[in-house]
Amino acid sequence: MQQSAVDAVLRGLKKAGVTVACYLPDSLFKPLYPALDADPDIRTIRVTNEGEGAAICGGVFLSGKRAVLVMENSGLRASVEPLARMGLGAGIPVVMLMSYRGELGENNWWAIPHGITMEPVLNALRIPYRVVREEEEIERAITDAYDWSYASYYHSAIALGGSVVR
Amino acid sequence: MKRYDCMKALAARLDNELVILSLGASVDEWYNAAPHMRAASLFQQQLGCVTPEAFGLAVGLPHRRIVSLDTDGGMMFNLGILATVGNEQPKNLFIVVWDNEMYQSIGGPPTHTASGRVDIAAIARGAGIDAAHTARTIDEFDAHCAAGLAADTPYLVVAKVSGTVQPDIKRKHSDGREDKYIFVRHVEASEGITIMGPSEHN
Repeated sequence: MQQSAVDAVLRGLKKAGVTVACYLPDSLFKPLYPALDADPDIRTIRVTNEGEGAAICGGVFLSGKRAVLVMENSGLRASVEPLARMGLGAGIPVVMLMSYRGELGENNWWAIPHGITMEPVLNALRIPYRVVREEEEIERAITDAYDWSYASYYHSAIALGGSVVR
Repeated sequence: MKRYDCMKALAARLDNELVILSLGASVDEWYNAAPHMRAASLFQQQLGCVTPEAFGLAVGLPHRRIVSLDTDGGMMFNLGILATVGNEQPKNLFIVVWDNEMYQSIGGPPTHTASGRVDIAAIARGAGIDAAHTARTIDEFDAHCAAGLAADTPYLVVAKVSGTVQPDIKRKHSDGREDKYIFVRHVEASEGITIMGPSEHN
């Protein structure tokens, strides 16, 4: 992931009013995590699993602040239970930013499940998402996700793939 | 020690706090034990999410005391939150774990704490929450409530309660969605903020 893409993510998050980022680090977003940690406008919280991160983001929503859950797309699978309960049961939204592991171009066998399951899992939960593979589309995708989630009070997701993360 | 009696003792100490609580029979008990906290309580439904949501709320409202009413089953579902709270050290989070050693709402099969070997307070201390205790009497529990509501570090008390449910209490009729609106509107009014505002157009 290039520094310019990291900068675009930070611009998008700030434009969307995000002040809290929960994350479980991965390799494709490797430079993003220290950039989030170093940003004075964003408090980062490292979590032990992505489902815990989703629930923390839900709590931040209830406070009136805006949070983002940053993770590899495998974290979506770990988050399904709290996402289903909070989103479908109570209308508490979580906006997710995930790296697209396992799409075409993937050369790690262990990442193949992430690519095969990500979009079907998002669809099963009726979570709208955008796959972004062009750096100039990152900022707008993030603000669009927040606009939608704060109109629907439901989750949305941005997956960064292609040359943005490789 | 009965959970309902503990709730009455805790409720008497609450005023401006915000509460997030777990699913099961404790929902109706809290609804009855703390009627003045109705709008300030978010009744949640998911194992493993109660204390994480309470922590997120504590992060967003650092000037306000947040109370998590979690359970043995819920805490065992996601022990990782204890490590996250231990590392983050929120100054405004008081965690109560109702430990009746069973999954009460589905008829009472045992949780892992029923063996007598699993000690949630000890796990919490090991995860970095130094003020983590176990209460076995109402007086002990009430003293921990007083300390936990005034602490400037995360504070956890495991309340060892019986498996009985308070009889003849009113049922809460609202669902998770209505509860969220009630809670959010209360946070908005008491904080003077907007969380769920108007659309661009009507």
